[in-house]
Amino acid sequence: MEIANLNLSRLTFEVKEQIAYLGFGKYSEKSMTVIDRETLIELDKLLKLFYEEKSYKNLDGLIFFSHKPGCFLAGADISMISTLKSVEEAFDGAQKGQELYNRIEDLTIPTVACIDGVCLGGGLELALACRHILASDSPKTSLGLPEVQLGILPGFGGTYRLPQRVTLPNALDLILSGRQLKGYKAYKMGLADEIYPSEYLLPMAVKILRKPKFFNKKSGLKDSISNFLQDNFLVRKVIFQKAREKVLKKTRGLYDAPLKILDLMESGPGHGRATYLHNEAQAFAELALSQQSAGLRNIFFLMDAAKKAPFKTDSPSPRTLKRGAVVGSGVMGGGLAYLMSESNMRPILKDLNYESLEIGVRQAALNYASSVKKKRITRDEWEKKQRSIIPSTTYHGFSRVDLVIEAIFEDMEIKKRLFQEIESKVAPSCIITTNTSSLSVEEMASALQDPSRFAGLHFFNPVAKMPLVEIIAHPKCAPETIDTLYRWVLATKKTPLIVKDSPGFLVNRILGAFIKEAIYLLEEGVRLQDIDNACLNFGLAMGPFRLLDEVGIDIALKVGKIFNEKLGERFNPAPLSKKLEELKILGKKGGKGFYLYSKSKGSGDSGDSGDDSERSSGSGGDRPLEINPELKTMLPEKNILMDEESIQKRLILPMINEAAYLLEEGVVKSAGDVDLGMIFGTGFAPFRGGLLRYADFSGVSRIQAEMEKFASSISALRYAPAPLLKKLVAEKRNFYDYQP
Amino acid sequence: MRNVFIVAAKRTPQVKSGLDFKEVSVPHLAIGLLQNILDSYPKIENTSVDEVIFGNIGAPPQFANISRVIALEAGLDQKTSAYTVNRNCAAGMEAVAQATLKIATSRAELIFAGGLESMSQMPLIFSKEMTDMFIELMKAKSLKERLTAFGRFRPYFLKPIIAIEKGLTDPFCGLNMGQTAELLARELNITREEQDTFANYSHQKACAATKEGRFHSEIVPVLVGNKMDRILTHDVGPRSDSSVERLGQMRPFFDKKSGSVTVGNSCPITDGGSALLLASEEAVNRHALTPLARIVDYSFNGVAPKYMGLGPISSISALLKRTGQTMDAIDLFEINEAFSAQIIAVQKIAKDAALCSRFVGLSEALGEIPSEKLNVNGGGVALGHPVGSSGSRIIVTLVHELMRRRGKWGVASLCIGGGQGGAVLVENLAL
Repeated sequence: MEIANLNLSRLTFEVKEQIAYLGFGKYSEKSMTVIDRETLIELDKLLKLFYEEKSYKNLDGLIFFSHKPGCFLAGADISMISTLKSVEEAFDGAQKGQELYNRIEDLTIPTVACIDGVCLGGGLELALACRHILASDSPKTSLGLPEVQLGILPGFGGTYRLPQRVTLPNALDLILSGRQLKGYKAYKMGLADEIYPSEYLLPMAVKILRKPKFFNKKSGLKDSISNFLQDNFLVRKVIFQKAREKVLKKTRGLYDAPLKILDLMESGPGHGRATYLHNEAQAFAELALSQQSAGLRNIFFLMDAAKKAPFKTDSPSPRTLKRGAVVGSGVMGGGLAYLMSESNMRPILKDLNYESLEIGVRQAALNYASSVKKKRITRDEWEKKQRSIIPSTTYHGFSRVDLVIEAIFEDMEIKKRLFQEIESKVAPSCIITTNTSSLSVEEMASALQDPSRFAGLHFFNPVAKMPLVEIIAHPKCAPETIDTLYRWVLATKKTPLIVKDSPGFLVNRILGAFIKEAIYLLEEGVRLQDIDNACLNFGLAMGPFRLLDEVGIDIALKVGKIFNEKLGERFNPAPLSKKLEELKILGKKGGKGFYLYSKSKGSGDSGDSGDDSERSSGSGGDRPLEINPELKTMLPEKNILMDEESIQKRLILPMINEAAYLLEEGVVKSAGDVDLGMIFGTGFAPFRGGLLRYADFSGVSRIQAEMEKFASSISALRYAPAPLLKKLVAEKRNFYDYQP
Repeated sequence: MRNVFIVAAKRTPQVKSGLDFKEVSVPHLAIGLLQNILDSYPKIENTSVDEVIFGNIGAPPQFANISRVIALEAGLDQKTSAYTVNRNCAAGMEAVAQATLKIATSRAELIFAGGLESMSQMPLIFSKEMTDMFIELMKAKSLKERLTAFGRFRPYFLKPIIAIEKGLTDPFCGLNMGQTAELLARELNITREEQDTFANYSHQKACAATKEGRFHSEIVPVLVGNKMDRILTHDVGPRSDSSVERLGQMRPFFDKKSGSVTVGNSCPITDGGSALLLASEEAVNRHALTPLARIVDYSFNGVAPKYMGLGPISSISALLKRTGQTMDAIDLFEINEAFSAQIIAVQKIAKDAALCSRFVGLSEALGEIPSEKLNVNGGGVALGHPVGSSGSRIIVTLVHELMRRRGKWGVASLCIGGGQGGAVLVENLAL
């Protein structure tokens, strides 16, 4: 059949034997095809044919498919959102998309979406408008509506059509969490009608179009009952109440998008498609223009940038690190062994004796057990991976290792001796790293004969959950070393951040400023739980005292002293720190710190269900802990009441100020790096887009003014604005405009 | 014929069945050993190993050729050939023998050989009646045929057969292995006390060896426990609280009324694995390997099935003839202790020409097997007998003990259910 001169640059279109084929991804170079303006315009042109040309109306059907392996459609181009100027414009955009998808839905000929690969957001919304959805069983096939993670909602009819296909509770779960389903799970849930091997997707689609009987899905008794139930007013009310409770528990009500999704979907499709979609477009538009969404999109772009950091082109092609070893088998070492075994590195876990080795092995087992419980892996897979960890009291096998991570206690002299020993056991090409959180990487490097292969590789506890890894360079470090480590961190599905050697590197130094100030507040008489709650309500993953308990009070105080020594008076510790030290409470590991921890509550694993993304969306500390009564002796007798906002300011401002110092010192290169580090290393309020994004939103001049106010009322030493902050204010620039 | 070198010899702890290893997926009783050995020799690549041969008797059904699973899981290249052998109790030794032959005749350069057994996980079998019924049911097409097939069902069909029990009964003479030991005890007048004393001594030797860390160089630890979060570094079986008196209180197991063979003076049913890396001289040079010992030769020979316990006499005798060695020259014997009565019988008969002739048809006495050279670190009675592994396990232990005491020649031998014996002569090169 003749195709009119369409000039397609995004889509392909052809009609073969009475079936129309609409293909994506043929002309794009990128690995993921996204829906941009051009795509929508071409789609509009093509759909017109089916309504205007008679010959198209009698076709056997229309098949949507992708030319690109591994990707059907990865959703709308996110940068499109940032170009929207007003709510009205956003509303118009959503409505245009909705109309387009309505026209797919309203076609009289049958439509099939053949999904092989990633199918997200606007891509899945398109598929939902088709009569049939077929998914491939490829491991790359993954379906979802992740809009909520960007602070928006599916605005092309997704919230309207998904409940019809997978029942209301399933739809709510998918839209509110943004989680993605693999092909088989999508099929089990009813999102995909059938699942086939990739090679047979198109032939099977043709078969279905030619012989509709072949594919007559009978709706079972179960379906009709559940349809009846969810149409029932009371049942719906219960479903939404449950969903709302879950959202509030997870987000403390700090996130607009999930609440808006709930409101929208609760209103229901009762008044017809047009009315519902109008509301959907309106809700989408409001969210798209919100500061929260801008913040969350900022994270998305930061993450995307981290995945392809600029490497020096002159460095020789980096090696893949195939085999790993961890020296020091504590909770951290065990977490690292877990991580390495996860990425098939068959790690050797070395320590002095089997008692210590069992601590590490147990930590790895705990991580795997929770994955098995969540059905992420099978018990057989666990066994394979767990047994790939080789506990050893000797250096047996180190000659075969490509990467060693040291994770023993923080003692410079012992570490130096250890590195000399390790260097004598490994091959010359082996990269040796330290997981130190506070000691000088440069000084450690001096112990090695070949310091060029040495670097810091700082993970956060618990390793399995915290996405950030700080890669610490030092003057004698070879670029290839950093390059290879960067790629390795990405391959282990963590987020790398290159930082310069400096006390506490990036994240711990900013946290140091935060914790130090929190102890001052405590000393002034502010109630401990008020401080922690104010931080949670700001959107931090944990308040300072919960955090201290997790890190270990002894360690935190030790590191605090290092900061004070190396960075000067702004890190002067509160006199209360001394008393804390004398009290000799350790934190969670010792069973008591600021709070009391009963041994029975899953030790080792910090317990929150859910993965990294859930964690960073700010849960934690949801079960109330009892405050350690021993503290009473050292706390001021009289409490003062401080409002939440003042507490937040007192703690967040020193963090911003310290970040300014870090930028000026060149520890990291950009404000984006600071934000990436804080979000993935500490779970810093993602909806705020990061620490410095928040500062920019608030206005740097306001930040400076408030710092100066505190400098005169609280302490000139601790609240003097950093030179860079003043400079930015003077030059009327933001943190995000700063370039070294 | 080329020289064949042992360049590594390792084993897992041996654990009484139903204890720490009951949840270890069976191939993992060997995978860790291969990986440990590969870790000793960085110059060996995953394509360097020609073949993986393991002995195994009662593999769970999902591992039809368990050696292939071991090879791949240990990280060896897909091109690596692998097969599994069965010579009953000597399966592990058969694996070593085949590897030796292949290297000696230049068919291969580098072979992993060994054995493994999880007697905890031996399958249960449906009765013949039940199996027949299932077959009928599968064939049945109409409802009537199906009902007829079902109609044959009787509740006793459901009684499972324990595969291990079948395996330990000789299909030719009908005696189970314990009964062959009773027979030897009767015919050679071996008393209950002699047996218990021997058993007790085995436990004492094994405990002393463990305590002094003498197994340290041969054992590769295994992660155990439901969560695989404990590290097992030693055998579970040897009892430091063993005594002749306590052993004397146990009831005879195989001949409950008048017998003398008890569970206490027999080897326990056990889980474990063992592996050796065998190499040609070329392989030793190419991959920078350290030869620990040389496999001089081996021999397998038959005896009367009812006297299966005497297999070592006939196989050691043949081995010495083949190699021109004498009993006096041998510094160390590792002879598997299936039953105390059986190994006492071996010692008694070996030194007596008349008995040698009567029981195993030898024209002269084999010669004395001195107790101070026999199983110096304990044997099967204390350490257990993981059937598929014991044949190679005793070679592993022999090599390490020879190196420790700087002995030159060592013999590993065992009796084989069904009436055979196997023996291997090893020369220590780490003198």
